[in-house]
Amino acid sequence: MNVSHHLIITALLFASVQSGTILLFPTLGEIFAERAGILNLGVEGMMVVGALVGFVVTYITKNPYLGFIVGSIAGGLTALIHAFVSITLRGNQVVSGLALTIFGLGFTNFYGQKWINLRLLVTPRPIPIPGLVKIPFIGPIFFKQDALVYTSYIVAIIMWYILYKTKAGVHIRAVGQNARAADAMGVNVYATRYWWTFFGGLLAGAGGAYLTVGYSSFWLDGMTAGRGWIAIALVIFAMWDPLNAMIGAYLFGGIEALQFQLQAIGVTIPSSLLNMLPYLLTFIVIIIASLIVRVKHISAPKELGVPYSREEK
Amino acid sequence: MEEIVLQAKNITKRFPGVLANDHINFNLRKGEIHTLLGENGAGKSTLVNIFDGIYYPNEGEIYINGKKANIRSPFDSMRYGIGMIHQHFMLVDTLTVLENIVLGLKDQKFIIDKKEVADKILEISDKYHFDLKPHTKIWQLSVGEQQRVEIVKMLFRGAKILILDEPTAVLTPQEAEALFDILKQMKNEGKSIIFISHKLNEVMEISDRITVLRKGKLIGTVNKDEISPSELAKMMVGREVLFRLHRKPMEQGKEVLKVENVEAFNDRGIKVLDEIGFTVHRGEIFGLAGIAGNGQKELAQVITGLRKSTGGTVYLNGKDITNKHPLHITNSGANYIPPDRLKVGLIPNLSSIENAILRIYRREPIGRRSFVDYKKAREFTENLIERYNIMVPRIEAPVKLLSGGNMQKLLLAREITENPSLLIAVHPTRGLDVGATEFIRKKLLEVRDMGMAVLLISEDLDEILMISDRIGVIYEGRITGIVNAKDADVHKIGLLMTGATEETVAAN
Amino acid sequence: MLRFEKRESTPASLKFLVPTISIIVGLLIGAIAILFKGINPIHVYRALVIGAFSSKYTFSETLVAATPLILIASGLILVFKMNFWNIGAYGQYIIGAIFSSYFAIFWSSSIPKPIMLAIMVIAGMAGGAIWAIIPALLKAYWEVNEVISTLLLNYIALFILKFFMYGTWRDPLSHGFPLSKPFPDNAQLPRMVSNTRVNIGLIFGIIAVIIIWIILKKTKFGYEIRVIGENSRAAHYAGINVARNIVVAMAISGALAGLAGMVQVSGIIHFLQIEINPGYGYTAIIVAWLAYLDPIAASFVAVLLGGLASGGYQIQITMHVPFGIVNVIESSILFVLIGSEIFMKYRVHLEQKRKKIMSDAKIGGE
Repeated sequence: MNVSHHLIITALLFASVQSGTILLFPTLGEIFAERAGILNLGVEGMMVVGALVGFVVTYITKNPYLGFIVGSIAGGLTALIHAFVSITLRGNQVVSGLALTIFGLGFTNFYGQKWINLRLLVTPRPIPIPGLVKIPFIGPIFFKQDALVYTSYIVAIIMWYILYKTKAGVHIRAVGQNARAADAMGVNVYATRYWWTFFGGLLAGAGGAYLTVGYSSFWLDGMTAGRGWIAIALVIFAMWDPLNAMIGAYLFGGIEALQFQLQAIGVTIPSSLLNMLPYLLTFIVIIIASLIVRVKHISAPKELGVPYSREEK
Repeated sequence: MEEIVLQAKNITKRFPGVLANDHINFNLRKGEIHTLLGENGAGKSTLVNIFDGIYYPNEGEIYINGKKANIRSPFDSMRYGIGMIHQHFMLVDTLTVLENIVLGLKDQKFIIDKKEVADKILEISDKYHFDLKPHTKIWQLSVGEQQRVEIVKMLFRGAKILILDEPTAVLTPQEAEALFDILKQMKNEGKSIIFISHKLNEVMEISDRITVLRKGKLIGTVNKDEISPSELAKMMVGREVLFRLHRKPMEQGKEVLKVENVEAFNDRGIKVLDEIGFTVHRGEIFGLAGIAGNGQKELAQVITGLRKSTGGTVYLNGKDITNKHPLHITNSGANYIPPDRLKVGLIPNLSSIENAILRIYRREPIGRRSFVDYKKAREFTENLIERYNIMVPRIEAPVKLLSGGNMQKLLLAREITENPSLLIAVHPTRGLDVGATEFIRKKLLEVRDMGMAVLLISEDLDEILMISDRIGVIYEGRITGIVNAKDADVHKIGLLMTGATEETVAAN
Repeated sequence: MLRFEKRESTPASLKFLVPTISIIVGLLIGAIAILFKGINPIHVYRALVIGAFSSKYTFSETLVAATPLILIASGLILVFKMNFWNIGAYGQYIIGAIFSSYFAIFWSSSIPKPIMLAIMVIAGMAGGAIWAIIPALLKAYWEVNEVISTLLLNYIALFILKFFMYGTWRDPLSHGFPLSKPFPDNAQLPRMVSNTRVNIGLIFGIIAVIIIWIILKKTKFGYEIRVIGENSRAAHYAGINVARNIVVAMAISGALAGLAGMVQVSGIIHFLQIEINPGYGYTAIIVAWLAYLDPIAASFVAVLLGGLASGGYQIQITMHVPFGIVNVIESSILFVLIGSEIFMKYRVHLEQKRKKIMSDAKIGGE
């Protein structure tokens, strides 16, 4: 392999990590909401709210990190609507999640108009990590990124640790698998579900905020373009495991990056087909993942989507 | 006078349409085993669920060690030193023993110190000779082992008052004996135990005092030494005669069901039927006894076509029906009362009519070409309701509004009205009140007298002994022995239920 | 603390009251959103109502928007009743439009009009059905989550449409715009009222509602759908072929969404383009839920939400209020509606603080 090929591949994978980060945040968030038993199909809506708010705050304050944080919080607050409807009022989670998506897209269309055609002047700067960046091949791909991308690594690893090694992780898994038992053991089922639904929204908002603040530097109506749904599909692909989610996110980030590269090189595939690629591959992957899940007897958290009430059996 | 550790005064709990507890007074002394005795629906579970904080009483007060307690949740009850072991274990099956034990522990650090916790679990486990492995997942354990996890979980939390809700329902007689030894050991260590049961023999064996409830009311509290089993029975049931079911002698007819070397796997891919074989004849009730989880559920599913068998053959009236479509099997003359009426047998949100026609909507006169004649369906249902004396609020009302007994009557009526040659009944009386239980058992005997073959699968050994003609015992997916009901010996069946073969039983 | 007490049955009045309140609350939330933008919501809503219901023409536009909603929602009701979450009407609508447009664009304009329209209707329905059968088969045999699969198929359908519109189907005379050549007269659905765009498609919608109603109330298929939706294990136990029912119901649902796409291009737009309003596929979900999955109620709700949509387009043009406000209102309605279901199943009491109860109990006990 000659040097220029090597550089192209490194650049491609570097870009894969960036576009993968947009997916990694919401995928992690949804994994935790689902582990706690809450199916939130509103990821697209929460992401797009995070994207707009993140953009606006960054534009006004010229601080991308503040924009990222506020955008994340906006996603979390959006999730609370779903939490209230599905946990407190025990409404249908599928419909509530869809409503959340419609809400997010409508809300950002309604308030986002005047922010179109603007560009962020300040964006997060790449920070090469001393030492790690020198690792051949891996270094330039993973450790020359910006602070927001690093945040996603840290979140993924911490979340994995929390899920399997801590008391909070035991509570999450118990609440999603057998809420009655968790309740009987004194775990607050409602609080646990509220918190992780909020947290799921927080990360979905983070994914959206990264999209505008770290990735594109501009705002477009409906610019999440179905990434929220891909993230939900990735949850199954990842089999509800935070580290698998990283693999899935970068794989799909890679498809998006590849699509840009092919367009840049001037490959003569119609752009509509290239743009279709991520959705088509997600579609195929979701079929394969479903088959694997079946064969391996892995299953979604048993009480996913089932509202809990103490006095009703 | 002994120290009172728990006292309940005037506890009243209402559910919509039901007075589950009506001004109940109850007390528990330190170091005693106090049994709550009563029929299903007497209010025992409601009362202990109030002690455990699952329910909150409408009226009344609870005192722990003489101080008024406000128990709003299981966590509160734990703080008062109350630990409850529910009928359905409160275990998360995908978590390990250790994870289940630390679940909800407030004094546990954020990052679980697995070494320290495991050591403490083993210490408790060894003390009672439990042999628990902290890192095993719950679903890999037998029911008896799971119960031990529950006990360790409560002791781990320093429970001084233990409540066991029908703990022996899922155990063999031998396992129950072992449990009693453990309870006695705990009692001698100064723990107080509330024990719930409706089985008189165990109540007489283990209790110090007995409180009897009936239909939500307190009937009385007595010392065990001052009362006889028959007096207790009278207090519990409120009438002398329980079931004295009349049974005609059986004439064994031709073979209806033949199960030959059948193998099957459960949902987790574990082999649960292992070359099982037996026959059921025309005009007999074949009772299949066994502890829960030894393949009974899967056996019924294989025969009815709801689960694929991986080996062996099932014959119905001489025809091979192995792995045929459920519809084909029903049409060949086998009907089925599934173990869980609300999850499988009935459709809770649909009306009595829509539930009643589930077996026959395809056929004339109710099914006509592509259509359902709901007028005919209503007539059919009205007829069933009258013949089987089913109480429904309105015929269009969802069946979830019916009482358990009436639901089961509707289900039974639907399954036997077409006169199938075989009826498979799994736990047909579980959770029913006395009247409905008696009704169902009588009907089963009635259809047997009419010549139906009945495969009765039940974990209630009394029920099996009461109405079966022959009794087969299933253990780990095999038949360990078949005995005639006439000369059945409970002890022997108990041994067969734990895997002893007929030869080893005979050798003893 | 809220305390819930199970109702024995739902009072009929609530079935009307709850959707009505949902709509009112949805509009209120929308009003707040408009207020935050510094616009007077009363002006907006007045313009919206005028834009939807005030004249023969505006009301006809409301019916034009209601037509696809009626068609799609009646099909969705069938699959929602069996707990199959078809979120893919958007894609089925697009594929239906593409299939039927093929004949309008490439087949001779001299084919007799009834035959041409019949071919286009069949093609549209077939296209929608195919696009719906894919996720149905995947769900029925491999347990692939249908929410995700139908949604992804929406995006795939959109890019297929773009592929044709930027490719071989583009009219050379369109000055580079992604438009097909106009449909010849034999490929245009007849209009019913002069000077409006109301067309035969509305009749299709009414027929669809009646057929779906008959299926649900009178047939074995409808009975099986209810059994599957309420308790799939009981359905399996009774020997009902769940997989086949899923596929058939989805085929019908997809066919109706595909027909809606055909009606849109053949009855309204008269050529194929990228912007053919597939968003009806999502709005129809709201229609079905607001109607509590009753096809006849759905046709009235469709007119209401059709009015919201056509009024929404009006205010976007006349008052420059972004169309997103319609989505905000729709989603708020949906939140209130499904959040209120608990009031239909339970009586809800506001429970006093615990101390109060304990003292009450004391009085009661003495």
